[in-house]
This record gives sequence, C-alpha cells and structure tokens, in this order.
Amino acid sequence: MISSFIFAVMATLGFCIIFQVPLKHIPAAAIVGGVGWVINLLCIDHGISSVVACFFAACAVGLFSDICSRFFKDAATIFIIPGILPLVPGSGMYNTMIALVQNDLTRAASVGSQTIFLAGAIALALLVVGGFIRIAVMAKRKIIRPRRHGD
Amino acid sequence: MMNLKQKKVLILAVRAGELMMKNGAEIYRVEDTITRICKACGIPYVEVFATPTGIFVSVDGTDKEGDMHTYIKRIKGGSDTDLSKISRINQFSRKFTTTDLSIEDGMEILKEIDKAPPHPLPVRLLGAALVASFFSLLFGGNVIDFFCAFIIGAGCYLLSGLLKKIDVNFFIRGVCCCAVAAFFALTISQTLYTANYNAIIIGSLMIFVPGVAITNAIRDFLSGDMLSGVARVTEASLIAISLAAGAGIVLKLASYISGGIF
Repeated sequence: MISSFIFAVMATLGFCIIFQVPLKHIPAAAIVGGVGWVINLLCIDHGISSVVACFFAACAVGLFSDICSRFFKDAATIFIIPGILPLVPGSGMYNTMIALVQNDLTRAASVGSQTIFLAGAIALALLVVGGFIRIAVMAKRKIIRPRRHGD
Repeated sequence: MMNLKQKKVLILAVRAGELMMKNGAEIYRVEDTITRICKACGIPYVEVFATPTGIFVSVDGTDKEGDMHTYIKRIKGGSDTDLSKISRINQFSRKFTTTDLSIEDGMEILKEIDKAPPHPLPVRLLGAALVASFFSLLFGGNVIDFFCAFIIGAGCYLLSGLLKKIDVNFFIRGVCCCAVAAFFALTISQTLYTANYNAIIIGSLMIFVPGVAITNAIRDFLSGDMLSGVARVTEASLIAISLAAGAGIVLKLASYISGGIF
C-alpha cells in the first residue's frame, strides 16, 4: 500500500511537471494524486466495486484540491487536474482496445462499458463535490455575514 | 467613435481570457476574469460569452451617445496546458482589479506571462518518463518494465512535441505516439522475455490521457456552460479513441506478422 502510494505520488509529480504546476504547489498536488489513488485501492480491497471506489477517490481528490486551493489561495484546477489523472481509466481504455483487436466483442463491450462508467464516476464525483462546496460556501456566507453586521 | 481607453481595456481583457483558455482554464474562470478586468476599468456593461474555440465580449460605456462594441476572438490551435500561467493570470487579474495598475502596464505583464517559457525540454521529458514508468509499476509492471517505460515514455513525449511543432492535428498525434510506444514495447518484450508489454503500453498511454479535457468538461457543466462541456467531452473521447487506435493498429499488425503473440 505504501509503495503504491509512493508510485502514485511520483506519477502525479510527473504530470505536475508536464502541466507546469507552479513549483510551490507541486508537493501538495502530488500528494493529492497519491491520496486519491490509495483511497481507490483501499475501497477495492474492502470489496467495493471499482466504479464506486473510483467515485470515492475522485470525491477525495475534489475535496482535498478545494482545501489546497483555499489554503494556498490559488485556482482549484491546479490541484484537480494532476490529482485526477491517476484515476482516469487508461488501463480500461487499453483493455477495451485489446479485446477489440482480439475480436472478442463481448469482453470489449463489458470492459468498455466499465471504462465509461469509471470516467462517469470521476465526473459525477467532481460534480457532487463541487455542488456541495458551493452550497457550503453559500451557507457560510449567509450565516456568518449577518453576524458580522450585527456586531 | 469608440473611446480609445475602452478599446484598450477590451483588448487587454480579451487577451487575458484567450491566454487562460489556451492554457486549460474553465469557462467560468475566463468569463469572470474578463468581466472583472472590464468592470475595474469603469466599464459598466460587460457581457462575455466564452467557448473553447472563441470568446465574444460586448461592452457599453456610460455615455448615451456612445456605441456598444463587440470584440470576437477566435481561439485556434489546440490547448497547451500550462497551469502556472493560469495561476499567474489569476493573480494578475486580482492585482489589476484591486490596485490602480495602468492598462499599458497590464498589457506588458500579460505579454510577459504569455512569453514565459515552459520548463526546459529535459525536465519535461523527465516528467513524461516519471509518469510512464510509475504507471507501468502501478499496473503490474516489474523493474524491467519500469526502465523500458521510462525511456519509451520520454521518447513518446518528445515525438508528440515534434509533431506539434509541425502542426500535426491532435488525433494523428495521438495515433502516432501510441503506435510508436506499442511498437517499442512489443519489440522489447520480444527480446527480453521478462518484460510485460501491457504495463509498458499503459504507462506510456497515461501521458496522453485526456484528463484536462474531462476535468474541465465537468466543471463547465457544473457552472452551466453546456456548449463548452459538450465540446470538451467530445475532445476527450476523440483523444481516447486516437490513443486506443494507435496502440491497436500496431498490436493487430504484430499479431498478423508473428501470429503467436496473442
């Protein structure tokens, strides 16, 4: 588990370099990627299906990215883009293609739909986290501002 | 007659928006930046419509005789994600709106940001190599795969950069890069029997996976920019298809030639 965390962090670090993440944000972004991957693995180890595991992992990435963006006062995209990349189903894409090359259409359909669900899970997770963060920020503004005015 | 100041502000704002869009920002951030810059310069009415392929901005001054002006900026060429530029433009727009920075100075800063060179090529190659090699480990590769993917990943990224320089479109680029990766991975696995070509190919493929397009598509959908969301989802699927096609062609050819691989 620790080794795969390190591998995921290093891979995310590579993405940070390719996408030119500002130097001071690289450690945080790389760790976000590693955490996402480990949560994905942990969920799969506990018998959760890979699509749901991917959903939880992407939720974690979205949440941590938002925390980082508030902490470092910079755009959340800077952390989300490298962080989400380890979860993108590259292997599913590859396996679908292999099944197609081998003329095994049944397996291609099952692996392919799995891949699309994985991508959908990432999308849904980011949507859900984004939506909740918006609600939280709105709620915070509505609750805290009147008090300040009251003071 | 258009007010000269108004024109300069418009050019500055659209330039900032174009830069952000090209470097992989979401639609709402681009629209927000343009609106803020215009409002900060005292233009009361600003309407922005941004899509990944073009930005439309209308501004109207305070005087009743003045006309309404629209600037259309077509964004050509694929996006070249550079998150540090987004970060810098973000800070620039914050600084521009809170302090009284002159428009000329603002333009200078924008030009400087635009010209800022990316990391030197060896560093970027190292990045690509790290991605490929560590993903091959994550997908069940061994130490030999790690080193093979390290070299092949760097090579593919270099090839992609070269093809981009001669304006090859993104689909052909994806096909070529993955075909080359698959070819070398197969060759290596044929010579070294311990190497696992699946892990090497997946590792190299991960470098080109359309993560930016997927992430931005979702954020666009979330903020209600359906048109851009759909455009980016299409972009992501096309990239994915090109990658699979590139590797697939080579694997299929290899199976015809040797017959025994699959």
